[in-house]
Amino acid sequence: MKERMRHLTLTGLLLVAILVSVGCDTGHRFVKKTEFKDGETIVITFAGPVDEAWAKEKANYAVYEEPDPDILLPIKEIRLSPDRTKVTLSFDDGLNTRQAHVLKTKEMLSEGRSQGTAVLTVKKLYFGLLLSIFIGAMLVNNFVFTKYLGLCVFFGTSQRKSTAVGMGITFTIVIVFAAMMAWALYQFVLKPFQLTFLNIVVFIGLVSLSVQAVDTILRKVNPALFKAFGVYLVLVIANCIAIAVPLILADNEYTGPESFMLALGAGLGFLVALFLMSSARERLELANVPPSFRGLPIAFIVAGLFALAFLGFSGMSIH
Amino acid sequence: MDPALIKLALGGLAVLGCIGLFFGIGLGLAAHKFAIQINPKVEEVIEVLAGAQ
Repeated sequence: MKERMRHLTLTGLLLVAILVSVGCDTGHRFVKKTEFKDGETIVITFAGPVDEAWAKEKANYAVYEEPDPDILLPIKEIRLSPDRTKVTLSFDDGLNTRQAHVLKTKEMLSEGRSQGTAVLTVKKLYFGLLLSIFIGAMLVNNFVFTKYLGLCVFFGTSQRKSTAVGMGITFTIVIVFAAMMAWALYQFVLKPFQLTFLNIVVFIGLVSLSVQAVDTILRKVNPALFKAFGVYLVLVIANCIAIAVPLILADNEYTGPESFMLALGAGLGFLVALFLMSSARERLELANVPPSFRGLPIAFIVAGLFALAFLGFSGMSIH
Repeated sequence: MDPALIKLALGGLAVLGCIGLFFGIGLGLAAHKFAIQINPKVEEVIEVLAGAQ
């Protein structure tokens, strides 16, 4: 068991290292790093000091967004750090940091020696994008509290903490399974055959298919877990988040890893919502609630308060 | 009718039919492979009970 844990941790670290190193690779030996800063500037870190006269010349740089090589972005100001290894380019208009930028330099001069020309790509770390999708789906755009989806299952299974957690975990597993299949079908079947107008039909079928598949396999492989899931597995079909996630990932043309993070965030967000709600409702049963508000009415009011609290996350994003 | 549209519709029918068939067979095989013994008496007892819930 311990051995396996260590194995998993090592694999995870390796994956993170690969993601980070992919983000930092600039493709030129003299340039160590290029990155966005504050959404308005691009910082280039050189391996050695560059000549000030060369670095301060605007004509030495050409910056454009990757899809539009014809539109050069006008450079407003160039700053050089005291040790002459860092150049900060600022621009008249803000940069669209979601888009990868290409930065071309003319022959770089370092202490009188030429270091050749460079074509550099500046982009946000892919890891950061994945994380922002995950946090976005889980907290900022929580499906229950900001989109009001999946409410029937939400109110139905949030009376006890144990049922709430069971439902949340079951839902997360099924939604990840279904979303990955939906992504593959959308990208490799529906889009090439121009059948995207059949999205909803196909996705509904996929959700019920994955529920049925998990049901069949789990019944045999792990009967104890199956018993613990019980009726919730079937309830997942009745949850509209399960259809919202595939539709969102199709609309935004998410790639595989992005779809995975979206589904995981949606599932865990639902789990968080259920857990919070069930904790509150367990306490409510002991509270002195007016008779006409007992049961569902007060639950709706509490859900509204939670939604208000989740408004605090709105507008947040990770740079 | 525009023949291109008819082609699209028929193509869609064929593709979706294939997907359905594929997953249907997959599920069927899975059900076969992961089949478990269910005591037939359980079903009978449930039949006899009132079953309001």
